[in-house]
Amino acid sequence: MPDELKMNNILVVDDSPTMRRMVITSLGSLRTVKSTQAGTGLEAIERLAIEPVDLMVLDLNMPDMHGMEVIDFVRRHQSYRNIPIVVLTTKGEEASRTKALEAGATSYLTKPFDPRQLADVVGSLLKTT
Amino acid sequence: MDKSTPDNSGEFFDQFLDDYYAECDEHLVLIRRALVTLEDEVDTATIDRAVLDNLFRSFHTLKGISGMVGLGAAEQLAHHLESYLRELREGSVVLNASGFESLAAGVSLLENVINARRNDQAIPSIGDMAARLQTATTSAPADTENNAAITRWQIEFTPTADLAARGVNVNSVRARLQEIGELKQAKPIVKGAGEIAFQFILSTNAGQTTLKSFEVDGLVFQAAEEDATAQKIRQPVATLAPSTVVRVDLDRLDELMRIIGELVISRTRLEDQLTELKRSTPPAVWRPLQETSFGIARQLRDLRESVMRVRMVPIGEVFERMTFVVRDLARENGKKILVQLSGGETEIDKFLVERMMEPLLHLVRNAVSHGIETVAEREAQGKQTEGLLSLSAMTAGERIVIKIADDGRGIDRDRVLERASARGLDTGNTQLDDAGLLDLISTPGLSTRDEADRASGRGVGMDVVKNAIEELGGHIWLATKLGEGTTFTIELPLTLAIAEALIVSVDGQRFAVPQSAVREVLEVESTSTNVLENNEIISYRGKVLPLLRLARVFEMNHELGDKFHVLVTGEESNAVGLAVDRIIGQREIVVRAIKDPLAQSKGIAGATELGDQRVVLILDISALRQLAVKSRH
Repeated sequence: MPDELKMNNILVVDDSPTMRRMVITSLGSLRTVKSTQAGTGLEAIERLAIEPVDLMVLDLNMPDMHGMEVIDFVRRHQSYRNIPIVVLTTKGEEASRTKALEAGATSYLTKPFDPRQLADVVGSLLKTT
Repeated sequence: MDKSTPDNSGEFFDQFLDDYYAECDEHLVLIRRALVTLEDEVDTATIDRAVLDNLFRSFHTLKGISGMVGLGAAEQLAHHLESYLRELREGSVVLNASGFESLAAGVSLLENVINARRNDQAIPSIGDMAARLQTATTSAPADTENNAAITRWQIEFTPTADLAARGVNVNSVRARLQEIGELKQAKPIVKGAGEIAFQFILSTNAGQTTLKSFEVDGLVFQAAEEDATAQKIRQPVATLAPSTVVRVDLDRLDELMRIIGELVISRTRLEDQLTELKRSTPPAVWRPLQETSFGIARQLRDLRESVMRVRMVPIGEVFERMTFVVRDLARENGKKILVQLSGGETEIDKFLVERMMEPLLHLVRNAVSHGIETVAEREAQGKQTEGLLSLSAMTAGERIVIKIADDGRGIDRDRVLERASARGLDTGNTQLDDAGLLDLISTPGLSTRDEADRASGRGVGMDVVKNAIEELGGHIWLATKLGEGTTFTIELPLTLAIAEALIVSVDGQRFAVPQSAVREVLEVESTSTNVLENNEIISYRGKVLPLLRLARVFEMNHELGDKFHVLVTGEESNAVGLAVDRIIGQREIVVRAIKDPLAQSKGIAGATELGDQRVVLILDISALRQLAVKSRH
């Protein structure tokens, strides 16, 4: 691994602290990953502004700024538009899958999620970017 | 007094008094509505310009016409009101509470003056009011500051790692702002060099000093500007209406829909061009282009949905009209009928509602006249004396389902069959299922109005009903049981203009097939087809599926290859397979009617364009199915 020293910063955005912890723990299996968290959409965007972020795991239904708005904002921004975004949202809104992908989500997973699958998706996205 | 009315002309203008009063009434209505809107904007920095303009114009007109009819008091009062409005418009005074009250009081006095003249009563004095309005007009904006202490601020916060380390972040800033006022907006923005910042709009009565204390944390305050604060979308026309409802001619919406249709076609063209480019363009260049194209598609869909929503009206209005018809008919026929409505809030395209009115009326009339029995008959059969007619509507995906059900006598198959053969109609088999029965009673030859038919069942105008529904791209089903009742189920598209379609090809020519009509697509090998009594068939889900070769329908000299595709259409028992060479893809198409009678043809519902500017014909599946059924006999 040429870049084994490089730690990838994953921004985990979810309004539930428990869910954030679950995501972060799941990603723990990836060795080159560190994480940072945000509880609202606005906070997520603030994190982007103040530290480098390599990938975002994003909940959709959040108060004050919906995940879709976050995707929209990030994809429009010249510096952040290429950050992979893994949408992680509650099952039962299958219709939002297409919407999210069309809006620019890189991947779409539903909760309850399989920790290994999440780690796999995040890991492979980090490799390809 | 009557300075604008020349001597002796008073009598001449008297003949216009009725017109004058009528126009005054019109303007007073408009003025009162505008005042309602303005009341919400008292003490705010923003006043809807359009409202002021309209109000100004009304006063101006009232001034003019009052002068003409010699009603000097109204003329002067309108003049003062107009002057005050002018100042408001120019922003030299702020609309404060007392100003608004003067305005409102001025308007009601104006109304009194006009009414006094109309009723030949003493004209009230306007002196005090004129003075009051004059004061309001000349008062400096500074006078209003006490009342306008609540100010809107636009605040910008640029997050940095340093600030975050000190605990100053978007959440803490927002919380602090919420403490000192009402937060109207919080959103991320991008500054010149791509820097991220947050913009808040705050309504607060906090003084400058409080706000200054925030500045050490990197917050920048400025008085909110008109456009920055105008978060609610201003609708100048709507603000004048009492219920914020705008009446729009359907033609204008059609025009809007047409333009969106053009856009959809252009977008399709763009997508085709992008696909072309993909091979020769590096992904890094191509991907953003595709993303943008996706973005446009999304926005276009939103736009289309918004316009569609404007065209939608609740079907309840139609249902309510039906209840009147039922009531009258029931009284005429000596029947007792309870009408049950449900799903009246279901929305449907205005155009479809207009077209569905007659067919629905037919069905309702039939249900009342022929379906539901008289009180005596019902009692004899042990049924409730009151017949039940239920009208319901619901949406199912992109379609609306309307049900008209009665608990009457049901349709007597034997009598319909008897009737049909008496008229020399081919009734096919004698075991009529509901679909066959519907086809039969929808045969024009059967739709007569003689007594026997009336007694035997429906017949009346059913052909008209069925055709109207199918023309709209809909379907109708019948379920009837002798002695228990009849239910008609109608399914219609929510809107007509744009539809999802499969693009198929036959002999190199492309056709569009409305997706809603296709149940399944099969790939078939030519060796698996059989011929049975002159009909080509394949086996499908353990049953026999008659095939209709599109090439043959349109008399194209073309044979299918070894493998071809079959579109399965229609209900289980009536399924027909349309054989085509292949499926090219799925597209959003803009449906255009073919108006030229020379170009109209059975089996063709319209035409569309696919982006390469070539016209593609849209197949009329229900007509094609009828052709298939006919060729079977």
